[in-house]
Amino acid sequence: MGELLGHLAAGFVSAVAPLNFAMIVLGLGIGIVAGALPGITMLNSIVLVLPFTYFMGIVPAILLMIGIYCGGIFGGSITAILFNIPGDPMNVPTAWEGYRLSKSGRTRYALGLAIMASAIGGVVSALFLALFAPPFARFALGFSSVEFFSVVVFGLASVSVLGQSSMAAALVSLFAGVFLGTVGTEQQYGVERLTFGLPVLRTGVDFVTVLIGLFAIGEVLDQVAGRDPGRRAAPPDARALPRIGWADLWPLRWSLCRGTGVGVAVGGLAGAGATVSSFVAYGLERQMSATPEQFGQGHAGGLVAAESANNGSTGGAMVHLLTLGIPGSAATAVMMGAFLIHGIQPGPLMFTRQTHEVYTIIAGMILANVLMVGLGFAAALTFAQLMRVPAPLLNTFIVAFCVLGAFALRNDMADVWLTALFGVLGFYMRRWDLPIPPLVMGIILGPMAEQFFLTSMVSHANDYTVFLRRPVSAVVLGLAAVIVAWPLVARAVTARGPEAGR
Amino acid sequence: MERGRRVAAPLLGLLLALLLVPDTLALDRVAREGQFGPGFWPRLALLGFAAACAVKAVGEARRGPGAAGAAAPRAALSWVRLGAGIALVLGYVAALPLVGYPAATAAFVAAFMVLAGARAPAFVAAAALAGTTALLYLFVKVVYLPLPKGAGPLEAVTLWLYRALGIF
Repeated sequence: MGELLGHLAAGFVSAVAPLNFAMIVLGLGIGIVAGALPGITMLNSIVLVLPFTYFMGIVPAILLMIGIYCGGIFGGSITAILFNIPGDPMNVPTAWEGYRLSKSGRTRYALGLAIMASAIGGVVSALFLALFAPPFARFALGFSSVEFFSVVVFGLASVSVLGQSSMAAALVSLFAGVFLGTVGTEQQYGVERLTFGLPVLRTGVDFVTVLIGLFAIGEVLDQVAGRDPGRRAAPPDARALPRIGWADLWPLRWSLCRGTGVGVAVGGLAGAGATVSSFVAYGLERQMSATPEQFGQGHAGGLVAAESANNGSTGGAMVHLLTLGIPGSAATAVMMGAFLIHGIQPGPLMFTRQTHEVYTIIAGMILANVLMVGLGFAAALTFAQLMRVPAPLLNTFIVAFCVLGAFALRNDMADVWLTALFGVLGFYMRRWDLPIPPLVMGIILGPMAEQFFLTSMVSHANDYTVFLRRPVSAVVLGLAAVIVAWPLVARAVTARGPEAGR
Repeated sequence: MERGRRVAAPLLGLLLALLLVPDTLALDRVAREGQFGPGFWPRLALLGFAAACAVKAVGEARRGPGAAGAAAPRAALSWVRLGAGIALVLGYVAALPLVGYPAATAAFVAAFMVLAGARAPAFVAAAALAGTTALLYLFVKVVYLPLPKGAGPLEAVTLWLYRALGIF
């Protein structure tokens, strides 16, 4: 323990050196802005800075990327809360609760909660990385596609409790999303699936186009089609920095603990990442909450759980990279590229051969999450000023930015068409009381579930029982079953109550 | 009437799903012996969708007109404004490759702002011109995004504009 603290202390000294510190701050700034702008993802930003890291040492290069990673995961929550536009898929649950809080005049409270939850989740996650990286990585290394499939199913199952109207409506939306996720060229056989000969669909439906269309354009159309389209989207509660105190956080401590725990655990599973963490934490929070009926109406616990989980996943994802040389997410895969460019092979030997560098990176990660509190508040204030802009101007330029964001994905007008069409669909889903989040979740997690399922079947001779024979998979699937069954049982018990009393 | 619409929508979804299932069966012709074909997963999704639609339709049919749990009434809607909004968004996307990004965006911004409630012509014109110019500088000059320039002679107009603004 003493040795570990010594390494960490040396890491902090190195992390606050001018160049390293500047890289963390620069990365956080880039990440927060990129995360907040729909269509410009945190991952894109990490990829874009990769060529600039050729001219740096490995430590400042990785610290720059870690700053973007941590800032980018938080940044999407700003526009999610202010405009109901999640910057990244992982911020979707934040939009469900944060935007409602904002609409009810509690913008500063929602932003403050998001920042603090993100920072606490991130710091705990980085400490976890420092303390438990080697043993945890050994445990997760035993996971195969069977366990990953079960984790994704768990994420999909949580959708049954995410529907704000009814479970049937949520499932309609979820299966529509899973189906849309299958459209395009199939990877294993290379055949076109359900494209109907349309070139637009050949490359599949990118979830970012769906996100932008359903959430942003759908919301704008809903406002414009209203009787008073010039109304403000929310009261201008953005005159000062977001405020949050321990008195606000203390009642939410268990939500924070659960969210952070889920983030660290799910983030530690290679490939699961921040999006799955965020959805699973949100679903779990609703199950555990004393007021589940308030979810979707601006529930602070749901917001805190989702935000602490997505930043909490960052440390877990880094575990695989630093101890095994296996990237735990797309972002850490790019970081692995940076290591290799500098001639360093990430893996167990790093902890003995490059101890100083490893602990500087870990200390930098802790520092980045602490600095994010200050930078996040400043960024939130800047974005919050946009709420003073007249609604017609704001709504119009939201559409213009959505079009640009969709085009920038692949420089392809097909993505712009899909975004516009999903915008129209988003409007009608709102009007027909079909929840949008399950559709988004289906598109994101559906292809992952398919890949893990097919790999499992090939590996185990199409034996379905493998999912129940492997202990971790069986436990996770059991939890998924409980999540699906719980609302049905609760409803049945509630319905029987009055009859029994007669 | 409203109840009929609420039952018809999921039934339409159910019908659509069942119509697409044969397409997924056809995909499995390329499947290797003893392995799942490329149609398996979309078929699973379609059958799940169909089942969910059926449950939703039954639930809506059972629900009385004023039953508890019925959806809360939505805010009043202007169908004319909705139609115009959708037409403007789709028209904007269609116009981009034809007339080029600058002209299409300036026209869209002006028209959509009026639709969204802006009334001062000077404000609308200034927002359209300044906004489009700012977007051009940011995304063409700084980010090097190859935005659509338009077809035929309009491409030359866009290029002339880029040169005039000093971004090309």
